[in-house]
Amino acid sequence: MPFFEQLAGNLVYGAILGSVYGLSTMGLSLIFGVLRIVNVGHGPFIMLGAFTAFWMFTLFGIAPVISISVALVLGLALGFVVFFAVIKRLINAPELSTLLATFAIGIFLEEVAKFIWGPDHRGYSWDIGSIDLSITLIPYSKILAFISSIVIAYLLYMWFQKTKLGAAVRAVVEDSEGAAACGINVGRIYALSFAIGIGLTVASGVLVTLFVPVGINPYMGHEYTLKAFVIAVLGGLASPWGAFYAGFIFGLIENGSYTLLGTIPGVEPFSLTRFVAFSLLLVILLIKPTGLLGGESK
Amino acid sequence: MRIAKFGLLLALIVGLAFLGCAQQEQPKATPTPTPAATPEEKIPDKILIGGTLSLTGKYSKEGQMSLWGIQAAIKWVNDVHGGVNVGGKKVKLEFKYYDDESKKEAVQSLVERLITSDNAMFLLAPYSSGLTLAGAPIADKHKVLYMSHGGASDRIFEQGYAYVVQTLSPASEYMAPFLDMVKAVDPSAKKVAMVYEDSEFSKAVFAGARKHAEELGFEIVLEKTYPKNPTDLTPLLSEVKAASPDIIIGGGHFADGQLLASQMADLKLDAKAISILVAPALPKFYEALGTKAEGICAPGQWEVGVTYGPEAAKKSGIDYFGPSQDEFLNLFHEFAGKDTMPSYHAAEAAAAILAYAKAIEEANSLDTDKIRNTMNDLRFMTFFGEWKIDPATGKQIGHKMVIFQWQGGEKKIIWPPSAANAEPYYPIPTWDEKAAGKLAKK
Amino acid sequence: MSFFDKYASLIPVLLIYVVLFAIGILVPGMWQPVAFIMFYITLGQAFNIFLGLTGYVDFGYVAFLALGAYGMAIAVESLGGANLGFGIILIGLVLAIVMASILSLAVGAVALRLRGAYFAIATIGVNEGFRYFVEGARIWGGSEGIIISGAMRNIFGRETANFISTFVSDILVFIIAILAAIVTVLIMNRKMGYALMAVREDEDAAKVMGINVTKYKVMAFIASASFAGLIGASAWTLKMTYVFPSDVFLITYTVEAIVIVMLGGAGTLMGPVVGGLIYGILKYYLSITLPGFQLIILAPLLVVIVIAFPEGVVGALKRKARGNARKYLR
Repeated sequence: MPFFEQLAGNLVYGAILGSVYGLSTMGLSLIFGVLRIVNVGHGPFIMLGAFTAFWMFTLFGIAPVISISVALVLGLALGFVVFFAVIKRLINAPELSTLLATFAIGIFLEEVAKFIWGPDHRGYSWDIGSIDLSITLIPYSKILAFISSIVIAYLLYMWFQKTKLGAAVRAVVEDSEGAAACGINVGRIYALSFAIGIGLTVASGVLVTLFVPVGINPYMGHEYTLKAFVIAVLGGLASPWGAFYAGFIFGLIENGSYTLLGTIPGVEPFSLTRFVAFSLLLVILLIKPTGLLGGESK
Repeated sequence: MRIAKFGLLLALIVGLAFLGCAQQEQPKATPTPTPAATPEEKIPDKILIGGTLSLTGKYSKEGQMSLWGIQAAIKWVNDVHGGVNVGGKKVKLEFKYYDDESKKEAVQSLVERLITSDNAMFLLAPYSSGLTLAGAPIADKHKVLYMSHGGASDRIFEQGYAYVVQTLSPASEYMAPFLDMVKAVDPSAKKVAMVYEDSEFSKAVFAGARKHAEELGFEIVLEKTYPKNPTDLTPLLSEVKAASPDIIIGGGHFADGQLLASQMADLKLDAKAISILVAPALPKFYEALGTKAEGICAPGQWEVGVTYGPEAAKKSGIDYFGPSQDEFLNLFHEFAGKDTMPSYHAAEAAAAILAYAKAIEEANSLDTDKIRNTMNDLRFMTFFGEWKIDPATGKQIGHKMVIFQWQGGEKKIIWPPSAANAEPYYPIPTWDEKAAGKLAKK
Repeated sequence: MSFFDKYASLIPVLLIYVVLFAIGILVPGMWQPVAFIMFYITLGQAFNIFLGLTGYVDFGYVAFLALGAYGMAIAVESLGGANLGFGIILIGLVLAIVMASILSLAVGAVALRLRGAYFAIATIGVNEGFRYFVEGARIWGGSEGIIISGAMRNIFGRETANFISTFVSDILVFIIAILAAIVTVLIMNRKMGYALMAVREDEDAAKVMGINVTKYKVMAFIASASFAGLIGASAWTLKMTYVFPSDVFLITYTVEAIVIVMLGGAGTLMGPVVGGLIYGILKYYLSITLPGFQLIILAPLLVVIVIAFPEGVVGALKRKARGNARKYLR
């Protein structure tokens, strides 16, 4: 049955893509969970990660898998800078202010990137062979993206569960005033969480290029921002773990629904998959705003 | 009265903000369309061509290329040609531009500014069909010629604008020569798959391609679109693979074109010939994909290495105007830097400038209507190729698209034979062969 | 408050419109730049009715402009042969309002139950979802959109068609701006205005006080969306003579509207006017003086404004203004 064979193949790709989506959304959810700020300039940070991978590979021949750690460190540093320069002053400001400020930061990053690297679409070829699953072929680089994103998510999970600092972050997510009363320096946790969130996002940019090693350009982030919103909501918006699982689900839905929508005559099925994705977002927001995987309603 | 003062102050500030920049306004000298006025026509000391360019936003890449092309062409007209020959005088060209940010709101006000406050006598349309349409009513209102060098859509020329003329080939022509090429090289190839972006431009291109393919007797086994900025095309490409086509045509813009090629390689989706819209035209395509790019074809308005020159013009029995290709390249490098090679966006913009210069000389007048009438019968060649418009609509019918192919890391022009500098490499190496280092080079 | 006091705040706003109009008419070459700036002012005015008065951030606001644009395009395209003359434009405007308000009713009925960031994200979803529905299901020309330049020339002739695109459409924008200002004042002066103020301060408390919160929110939403539809119909379809989905469902416009409202001062009548003026003028002259660098300058500026003037220019002025001047600044 070619139909099911194709569907299966698409789902395999969907799962890999989903893992990348998941990791790229965790940062967004973490920042929202702790600071209650929606980072509308999310995508441009992914773009920075993609360029990190590109330059490390082209200039120094460093494998993208190794660049992940470089991107993470760069992202952390950038996160601290952005936090202390801008976000810190907006912690208690109305939504409007933070939405606008983060959007402006995003635009600024894009324009700076364009200024430095030009508007070209770049890419790299890191060929390490591929595996034949009989239903489809998968390059090892994509499998590495899949594994890396799971490993990073797991490490983060352990950090949250096993370290004191991680526990403090969890406490702030639960109840920031209560946490402050318990002697937790909430301001420091905000800074740290924001930096980790940005770090994760920049690192996920490297994974994005492992999945799609081409089309790297200053404006590539926009598409990921929109998808990250859908995924974050799927996962409950405030939960990084929810976001990670939701990424998988989203990847599967995106690729799976294409095959199904393709059976409708007279339409553009691929464009409709996006309609499906955004409709899903609305339905979930209305039925269960805490997300498909979210726990109790707040 | 506090309030009155406040109101007055506000009004003053607003007023001043505008007036400050409107000082240089002079009443515009509109060219009178009466033919009797020509003998006494006063020829100014310079001819100002205006245009909005997309230096930021989504068309910033194309916009930058256009600017360099325009600057090179202007330099040739002024320094090499000595200026435009009109009314017994040699008049220099000048170009004035603003950044439209690739956005339609900006286009109209900037075009109006170019016409009324800068007194631009001729206009270059912005990049893309949408922006070209946005500026057209303004140009038409002021009866200023508006030359499209980046608006490919055929639909622009179905709207009845009298002053809009086109220098590049319209969208419907993009894929035609590729199909001609396949037909000529391998009459047994029958099955065509089309995978392209769901956008105005690509749809126009592939509607033209579908029509041409059917005329040539190809069978379209699969036709699918994808939305802008896709992240994964494998679901679509696995369908293509199942249809096992002989040739694949597709694409839309830069990022998706690269993705298309890259994921065809992932899935080892082989075909005898592949042609992708837009993306392969840029050197970055090969840098990004490496040897995977070998053998991939793309349509272009122009390419470095085309054989258009004075001799080709003589053969066709038409005039040649403008720099030779080498001259153009030298001038282009002066503005763009030594390492940057011009894309066709630079060439088509340069050709638009040359077309203006040529038409003005032929009309021997700066009167818009006279020039527009002259253009109806004008047929000549530049380094960009032939220039001839359809008199009724202003659509370009003389210029022909070229097909190039990445061969051994170089873009070689393979079609039409009259412009080609290499033979088509057909069938192209498979993805496995390419991964093993085989190049599409004999 | 006397009648004059209630409506005094309209005077400076209308004065600015008159000055702008005069500059456009009297100074050669300034009509289009004025229209460019008026587009932003009007966008701010319309958006302010919802964003400013309720405090809800509708990130998908541009969808209403898009629907309005389609409304006009559909009217011109399908009724072109009906010999209606200028009646077509009227029908187009009505269609624009109808389409925009139907969508706003649908969105308002469901999404307005959400708050804060959830509402913002839901509305992004509406906008993007709608766009891909138009493209994917191939309605209204799908991704190829609708071009009406030819149809307009057939209906009105060349001269009049150009006149509509380069003048009438801009006049319409002026009228929309005036209407939006009046509606804003009307709302502010009524119970609805006070109810919405309460919602903005503390929605739950307002509910407890017995205010029909949902009714007023939806009303403001529909009013704001209808104006957006009108803007789309005139400033986009009539002026640009085409509608491409990738162009009209662009979130950038929402962000620009937010910037304008915020710059001037959310929830004030004068705010969007001042915001639109600053933003429009800045943008126009940056693109002339520093082509290519507008955004790299504008972005950090925005951040500074958000931090330093969270209430906007008018908000800050209002706080300082005393006595009589206050009633002109709302």
